[in-house]
Amino acid sequence: MDNRLIFEKSDSGRKASYIKKPEISLREPKEILPENYLRSNLEFPSLGELEVVRHYTNLSKRNFSLDTNFYPLGSCTMKYNPKINEELSSLEGFLNIHPYQNEACLQGALELIYNLEKLLSEITGMPRFSFQASSGAQGELTGMLMVRKYHKIMKNRKRKVIVPDSSHGTNPATSSMCGYETVVVESNKDGLIDLDKLNKAVDAETAAIMLTNPNTLGLFEENILDVAEIIHRNGGLLYYDGANFNPLLGITTPRLMGFDVIHLNLHKTFSTPHGCGGPGAGAVGVVDKLSDFLPAPVIDKKKNKFYFNYKIKHSIGKVRAFYGNFSVLVRAYAYLLRLGREGVVRVAQNATLNANYIREKLKDDYNVASNKPSMHEVVFSCTKQKEKGAPAFDIAKRLIDYGMHPPTMYFPLIVKEALMVEPTETESRKTLDYFVESMLKINNEITENAQMLHDTPHTTPVKRVDEVRAARNPDLRWHPNK
Amino acid sequence: MEFENYNLFGNWSLEIGIFEHMPYILNTENDIKEMLRVIGAQNLDDLYKHLPSKIRLSGELNIPEGLSEQEVKQSVRNLAGKNKPLDSFNSFLGAGLYDHYIPSALAPLISRAEFLTAYTPYQAECSQGILQAIYEYQSYICLLTGMDVSNASLFDGASSLAESVLMSLRITKRNKVIISSAINPEYKKTLYTYLSGFNFKIQEIDFNTQGSTNIDSLKQILDENTACFALQSPSFFGIIEDTEKFSSLAKEKGVLTILVTNPISLCLLKEPGNCGVDIVCGDGQVLGGSISLGGPSFGFLATKNEFLRQMPGRLVGKTVDRENKTAYCLTLQAREQHIKREKATSNICSNQSLNAIQSAIYLSLMGKDGLTKCALYSLNLAHYFYEHLKEVEKIKLNFSQNFFNEFIWQVDDARAVVKKLYKEKIIAGLTIDDSYPGLKNGILSCCTETKTKEQIDDFIETLKNILK
Repeated sequence: MDNRLIFEKSDSGRKASYIKKPEISLREPKEILPENYLRSNLEFPSLGELEVVRHYTNLSKRNFSLDTNFYPLGSCTMKYNPKINEELSSLEGFLNIHPYQNEACLQGALELIYNLEKLLSEITGMPRFSFQASSGAQGELTGMLMVRKYHKIMKNRKRKVIVPDSSHGTNPATSSMCGYETVVVESNKDGLIDLDKLNKAVDAETAAIMLTNPNTLGLFEENILDVAEIIHRNGGLLYYDGANFNPLLGITTPRLMGFDVIHLNLHKTFSTPHGCGGPGAGAVGVVDKLSDFLPAPVIDKKKNKFYFNYKIKHSIGKVRAFYGNFSVLVRAYAYLLRLGREGVVRVAQNATLNANYIREKLKDDYNVASNKPSMHEVVFSCTKQKEKGAPAFDIAKRLIDYGMHPPTMYFPLIVKEALMVEPTETESRKTLDYFVESMLKINNEITENAQMLHDTPHTTPVKRVDEVRAARNPDLRWHPNK
Repeated sequence: MEFENYNLFGNWSLEIGIFEHMPYILNTENDIKEMLRVIGAQNLDDLYKHLPSKIRLSGELNIPEGLSEQEVKQSVRNLAGKNKPLDSFNSFLGAGLYDHYIPSALAPLISRAEFLTAYTPYQAECSQGILQAIYEYQSYICLLTGMDVSNASLFDGASSLAESVLMSLRITKRNKVIISSAINPEYKKTLYTYLSGFNFKIQEIDFNTQGSTNIDSLKQILDENTACFALQSPSFFGIIEDTEKFSSLAKEKGVLTILVTNPISLCLLKEPGNCGVDIVCGDGQVLGGSISLGGPSFGFLATKNEFLRQMPGRLVGKTVDRENKTAYCLTLQAREQHIKREKATSNICSNQSLNAIQSAIYLSLMGKDGLTKCALYSLNLAHYFYEHLKEVEKIKLNFSQNFFNEFIWQVDDARAVVKKLYKEKIIAGLTIDDSYPGLKNGILSCCTETKTKEQIDDFIETLKNILK
């Protein structure tokens, strides 16, 4: 197989003919612009279409993906991405509209966003949403900047944000980007928030707590109402990181749990594809008292016409250009229409069922990180396996040989040798059984020959990759003269 | 609907037809029974019995019942049909998003499920294709910009500017930011929002009568507290700035120069890396992306080697596997949130990888020849348009002619003129007095290679008639 870079396949004789020559007399760039503004050369490859098609088709085949492999990557909710959503998001009426066209030309798009907001409001209990954020982390930034501005307007002197030690890395990173000091609260032995420690950490300077529930151990924070009470009593707000909302659809809402501002990852819970790392969308929802702080504009309706409403009293401004990752919103909307009120509950239940099934089947051979019941994902602590000579890393790599994408590894940080397994609701029992069997087989393999696991994976186009070398001698691009 | 009488959260059993509507779920009723047995639960609701009853929803959500695929398709198609896409007009609208021709081979390649449905390539061995594609993307951005290194993408142009400014603040440890007011207003707003958690000072400098950023104003406020000067070229007004002059002035005070740019323009214009620029950023929609109401596109960010460790975002590096074969992996992750947490260079996790890979495929398809033509034709058509507008009475063209594919023209009562043109199915461009009250009656219009002589001539004729 030809694994050269696209640049190395170039043949300077090739010319593209995709675009038509205008019927005007063409002038050289230097006849139009000062010569010192122009570049002397563009070191780009020249290829024929078939070569490009073959190159990228072959690259695509050197990957695991959801459509080809079980992908139980914890915290990422790799559920099936329905094909109809792709078709609908590529409709000409959605693809070829410009945000600066007048609103009369955009009524369908605005109505879709408006409807999506209504659906998510009902599902979460949050009356208003912004769809500007392009990801969960940008949703966090949006939400926490609203928190910051809220406290400023209310003249609350706040400087700290609380996060549990099990939190996603984005939470403390976001807190820093909002100019807050991050205070980390240690979890208790069950992996849940320790109320005593929380009580000690919270004071009048606490701006907010950032929480995901279920937390990153896949556990429901049973004391969530006490947490809310402690934070609110101190004049703080509760931020909900919705990365793990999938098992709670139609069961409870962030509002009922006491949250004030939330983001939902539309690319997780709402089935939009992950695209090698993006685009996603972070829908940010708020309680009434924060709706004056939303990024502008929001979509409102007057006399049966939808419009961009920029009149938001204390708006934090914008977190990106235009209105967000619109075509991601189309997919999430189509998904919710398809599920409906029964369907969303089935999602939650089956996601939880699948994770608990795996837990039950593996719990005698792999330590479960907590004795508390699991929700949508189960975190194993592979300490027994490590003692036998194979750390979680090796187990993860061995799973690739069995045709499965590894679970999230070494996260949450508070679990030793963590493997975080999130099967999602869209996998069949047969697939789960195959995963379980493979994990049990691997456990036996470790007993028999742990060394063999160090050399895994055996079946991939490249063998174990030297990541240390990559970091030590960064080679981050192709050079024309190399 | 048969579910309506059914108590969802009570003691329902499996026998009452609840599995009628479970799109995308593969567990059958038998599967569920068996799995519940394994777990030792009576019914699905048992899985939630440890949740406090106070927070449980007491009834069904008030959202519509689920639909068949057929119905969903109809419903969403109806909404799409209510929009009026650009191609139903003779459109000259750009202002940060541009209509370029997209080769047909692009969609089937980027829609391949192996790209579409994978996630961040954390596991290098089963993600070599994605990693190589991103490495090629990074290389393309470096070649275009003349910079040493590029990350694997950010969200969009606006947030890439904000991240660039934050990066300059980390590098210099200074606290003042100067930006040109001729930067895209959406980008400026985003920058202000991103910086609102800190006490940094942001100052905007004006533009001169030619529409170019006023270098004398920069001279006056540039000082040793300044972290960066951010410029856009081609600017929001379409004008190509004399970047080198600005960067050499900035350099005297140890100030970093950040350039926002349009990657298609760089197929003709001098590489920012050869203009003394320290960080280049911008939006990648023009590289094979649809306009799609402004998203998703992607942001790019490229810089010099010396600033590598302060870069935000993912990076792919080339290395070897244990058999010494070439391999790729995510690298320098010690900058990132999942390792560094509150000390990370950014909170970014998911980015816009698919759009970045899409741009690499676009660039490969178009190739050197196709891209040069794309930029050349856009430049020529925009200038043809400009020359002919000049001949129209009552039109003012006060700004510099050193523009790439768009420019500002003025006419009395611009909004009324734009409305009249719209009635004739012409979208003239963007009226900009909302963002620039000083440029009253200004209209920003653009031409890409998708415009024809006929469309431009038609615009000019219609405009003449309206202004008669």
